[in-house]
Amino acid sequence: MDKIKGTVLRVFPKDVNTDEIISGKYKYDELDIKKLAIHAFVAIDPKFCEDAKKVKNPILIASENFGCGSSREQAPLVIKTCDISCIIAESFARIFYRNGFNIGMPLIECRDISNKVSQGDGLEIDFSAGTIRNLTKNETYKFKPIPEFMQKLLDAGGLMPYLKKSGGFTE
Amino acid sequence: MSKTMAEKVLSKKSGTDVSAGDLIITPVDLVFAHDGTMPLAIQQMKFGLSKRSVFDPNKVVGVCDHASPSPSEKVSNVHSFMRKFALENNLQFFENGDGICHQIVLERFTAPWKVIIGADSHTCTHGAFGAFATGMGSTDVAAIMTYGKTWLRVPESFKVEITGQLPKHVYSKDVILHIIGEITADGATYMSMEFLGNTVDKMSLASRLTMCNMAIEAGAKTGLCEADEKVREFLESYGRGKEYAPLVPDKNAAYADEIIIEAEKLEPMVAFPHKVDNVAPVTQFEDVELDMVCIGTCTNGRIEDLRVAAQIVKGKKVAEGTRLIVYPASRDVLLQAIREGIIETFLRSGASIGAPGCGFCIGRIIALGDGEVALSTQNRNFRGRMGNDKAEIYLCSPATAAASAITGRITDPRGV
Repeated sequence: MDKIKGTVLRVFPKDVNTDEIISGKYKYDELDIKKLAIHAFVAIDPKFCEDAKKVKNPILIASENFGCGSSREQAPLVIKTCDISCIIAESFARIFYRNGFNIGMPLIECRDISNKVSQGDGLEIDFSAGTIRNLTKNETYKFKPIPEFMQKLLDAGGLMPYLKKSGGFTE
Repeated sequence: MSKTMAEKVLSKKSGTDVSAGDLIITPVDLVFAHDGTMPLAIQQMKFGLSKRSVFDPNKVVGVCDHASPSPSEKVSNVHSFMRKFALENNLQFFENGDGICHQIVLERFTAPWKVIIGADSHTCTHGAFGAFATGMGSTDVAAIMTYGKTWLRVPESFKVEITGQLPKHVYSKDVILHIIGEITADGATYMSMEFLGNTVDKMSLASRLTMCNMAIEAGAKTGLCEADEKVREFLESYGRGKEYAPLVPDKNAAYADEIIIEAEKLEPMVAFPHKVDNVAPVTQFEDVELDMVCIGTCTNGRIEDLRVAAQIVKGKKVAEGTRLIVYPASRDVLLQAIREGIIETFLRSGASIGAPGCGFCIGRIIALGDGEVALSTQNRNFRGRMGNDKAEIYLCSPATAAASAITGRITDPRGV
């Protein structure tokens, strides 16, 4: 993964939790993630999944502590299943952060991003340069480098393909 | 170099001298998952790694607790999928009604110095025994189920020093709610919260479990308490005394942050909708009328919690228009509560008793109606948590819950 060019689908506030991303009342019934994904964000943003289909390479923006709460991996999975190419937040909750990379979805931490970009902005993310170019506002933002190990997971496409290739955890 | 408890456990387990910030590969002593997370972990093993067998069946635990007893054919099918895998692999498998994964694991497996990973965010609970315990997602857990190892970044530690005597009807739940209110929902992100001080020394193990359970609500990777005689006594009561070894932090251990709590100054606290860090004293909410009061969960469903609540409701009736629901955390807790007459006290007061499990906390077994208000001893009050995004959830201690069930509105237990 080198560059992603896409459009800002949503700018979420701080502390969006995993119950809001995918409610517990749906997730125990369904093993098919495509069927589960239609319920993504229903309590706070019922048109999320539908609107994601109207945009090319939708990008999600959030303020601090995105994905706090439960360990449910269905949270990043339903977001990925709604075709979100990348999430940029001011910070992520720890388990969500880990889960995102494990399923091969890039998560970027960038200071003050929720105040800098607006819904509909076109963005170009350059992973090797560590920059986000806002094509609508003609601005550039630097982001925190992705930790080396997380980058390896991304390059492999997630933890499972990474382990399959390496044959397990190697020191 | 002086070490925190997290650094000590992870150094010993990984066989290297580690400190905060180091990335390590560590063996895992116990890995567990439940009906909300294990099915996905099994799928990841099968489809991601082309593996069907676990590294060591004695170190892998599966529990049907979140949607248990199963309320629908869809959930039953998910349980069957999980049960079949458990049988094929001869796993430690716990059925509908056996209890909440954390309570089952701490009764049977948790011990100081162990590394415990659960596919549930409240796995930090087990740190109350001096274990390094943290929650991960299903893919991480699938990898551990297969290889018996995981990667971890050694966390920085946040020292929580609690000193002095807790006033009457102020409990560890009030302490942890107060702390989360102070440092907020991401105040300890990625850190290990280490609960120290003479108040913690005097606390029961159950009270420490309540605090460690909610470390995640401040974003922490784990919560840890010193392993002392109380841990040894608990392990002995389960015939596991040999698994005890003390754990304390080194004197000059380096902490990234610190907060000092004076226990005498605390009052019963409440977290109000829809965030756990919306915390204020119970006295600010005494006009809030309640449709449902819930006692139980991995936070406050232990025998000590039920005793406190039963003492308050004894000989009284739950207010008209309010439902009181009690879910003991495990089969052992329920049996003990029956022996002590606690269940009879609850039943006579008008409460209903659920089969040990997560019950009301995740909205799959019991759901609130539109516009309803609940007061619960659980750890999260997120919008929609109890099955209805048009309902409101307040959090409190078992004493506050019991006092409130009798009056039908949020009530200060100090006045009962």
